[in-house]
Amino acid sequence: MYGYLGIDVGSVSTNLVLTGEDGTIEQSIYLRTQGKPIEMVQQGLKQMQAALPGKVKVIGVGTTGSGRHLAGVITGADIIKNEITTHAIAASNVVPGVQTILEIGGQDSKIIILRNGVVADFAMNTVCAAGTGSFLDQQASRLNIKIEEFGSLAMQSSVPVRIAGRCAVFAESDMIHKQQMGYNVPDILAGLCEALVRNYLNNVGKGKEILQPVVFQGGVAANAGMKAAFERALGHPVHVPPYFDVMGALGAAMLAREATNRKTTGFRGFDVADRDFKAGGFACDGCPNVCEVVEILESGQVIARWGDRCGRWSNALDRNQKIS
Amino acid sequence: MSVTVGIPRALLYYYYYPQWKTFFDHLGVKTLVSRETTRGILEKGIKSIVDEACLPVKLAVGHVLDLYGRVDYIFLPRIVSTARREYICPKFLGFPDMVRNNIDNLPPLIDYDLDLYRKGSSLYNFFYTVGRQFTHNPARILTAYKASMESLHMHCRDMEAGWLPFEPGVNHNHEQRPHDGNIHDVTIAIIGHPYNIYDRYISMNMIKRLQDYGANVVTADHLPEHVFRREAEKLPKQLFWTMNQRMVGAAFYYFDRPEVDGLIHVASFGCGPDSMTGELIERFARKESRKPLLNLTIDEHTGEAGMVTRLEAFMDMVRWRRQLDDVAATYY
Repeated sequence: MYGYLGIDVGSVSTNLVLTGEDGTIEQSIYLRTQGKPIEMVQQGLKQMQAALPGKVKVIGVGTTGSGRHLAGVITGADIIKNEITTHAIAASNVVPGVQTILEIGGQDSKIIILRNGVVADFAMNTVCAAGTGSFLDQQASRLNIKIEEFGSLAMQSSVPVRIAGRCAVFAESDMIHKQQMGYNVPDILAGLCEALVRNYLNNVGKGKEILQPVVFQGGVAANAGMKAAFERALGHPVHVPPYFDVMGALGAAMLAREATNRKTTGFRGFDVADRDFKAGGFACDGCPNVCEVVEILESGQVIARWGDRCGRWSNALDRNQKIS
Repeated sequence: MSVTVGIPRALLYYYYYPQWKTFFDHLGVKTLVSRETTRGILEKGIKSIVDEACLPVKLAVGHVLDLYGRVDYIFLPRIVSTARREYICPKFLGFPDMVRNNIDNLPPLIDYDLDLYRKGSSLYNFFYTVGRQFTHNPARILTAYKASMESLHMHCRDMEAGWLPFEPGVNHNHEQRPHDGNIHDVTIAIIGHPYNIYDRYISMNMIKRLQDYGANVVTADHLPEHVFRREAEKLPKQLFWTMNQRMVGAAFYYFDRPEVDGLIHVASFGCGPDSMTGELIERFARKESRKPLLNLTIDEHTGEAGMVTRLEAFMDMVRWRRQLDDVAATYY
């Protein structure tokens, strides 16, 4: 059996998906990145290999997410694609005719507008993290609630508390204040969901025409409270696809299928999981830009560099791996 | 003994440098432009200026500091207005004072007012006052002024021929800009202030990146003045900022051009006029056009990932949409 591998290395989670030749998901893995993207990619590959029946041959690899270049270098990806495109591709394949994608991940949130199956417009959050998953994470741990229980607890609320959603810092102080006044936890959680949705729609979704069908994906889509809050705010149903948390990786796998059309893959095999990769870095002192150059080392040998503006370091490698 | 006048590579340098340089050349005054933006220059600027200033102003201060100790004068005209009944952003107006009050031991500033707001004001008066600093011969100033106007026109005509400001290879014959080997399949219009989009550091080399992704890049500076002024009249009321009129006019024009596949609006964080024009352009895009528009805000980030992701996704979107249009064209 042949398959395509998609890897999405985000700020909070690292996801791997293996699809069959027809694009159906055979196996998906969701891991927390925990600030260790290289190790998580390796761990993910190990788990993937263990979970697969023996005879699967990977004939294409795609990477996406903010760590896409890193993952691409380690695995020898056939295509390295930005997360907006991969999310759009995955959603339009899973939910044909989708016109709006709401995606909330760990560090960023985005809205993608599709018309006639093609991306017509998109927006990402700017410098603000108030509408993202890491904020929910942080607040859940502050209330001593497992993030997995967040959604179901929020759903028990009858009267959501009004919480300022403009800014994560203000939201937090507002929440503490409401707690001290004696509101119960489900109402506060539901209020938090509503505040995030309000912030998302005013910030990321500003001026966008949100038409049905609406798909809600990304890690935060696991939160039933968020889904319900979106439905209340938009006034129509919001669809959460079955593999909502690995849609980026799924899109990358789909793109890998396109990219390896009549070509052999550059996939370096599952055993890269056991090799010794290290990321190093240094500040180049060649000019006042003081670029922070990142080096990826495999068994002590530099296999990729990036981060320099002038190309002094990235072009110095034999294999031209200059990225961004 | 000749003196050297320093010109910061910032703000209106990108419009008027050819004119300024020619003027000083004809007066026998040497000019020195600050070095290209680096992180060091930007950081110096950020440290020395009020926090509320926008990124280009902070950067301009860095460029002033870069000239420190290397020149006899610094040319910082107080540009109030460059067209009748229109203004330049108020931060430009106060810029010489901001610099003077925040930085000690500066060489003398040449900061005469350039204000064409009222009827009867003239550009020549400004250049005459500047020229008087270096010569007492009025005829020499007049010759220098005429030559400087000529070189500004040359510069504009080069831009209209499709060159980008200060691109190597501009020949001043106003010949059409040659294609860089491969003819790109998509054309993207970048709408933004010249000091944001042509500065390779703060724009994170946006123009070069788009060209590498296979796009022809056009900007507001490729249009003659009468074109963007005419286009800007589509607004119900005239904008009173000259530079933003240029941006809005250019955006409207490019929305109408069939060869332009998408527009990118670049604003700097905290820019008042840009937040207004950005909104005007976005509304126009939604009402009158099917072309994709990307809004980018630049600030002091050094991480390029955000920019790269958005530009890549934008290019994917533009190409994808075009493919669909091509398919539609063959079927119907």
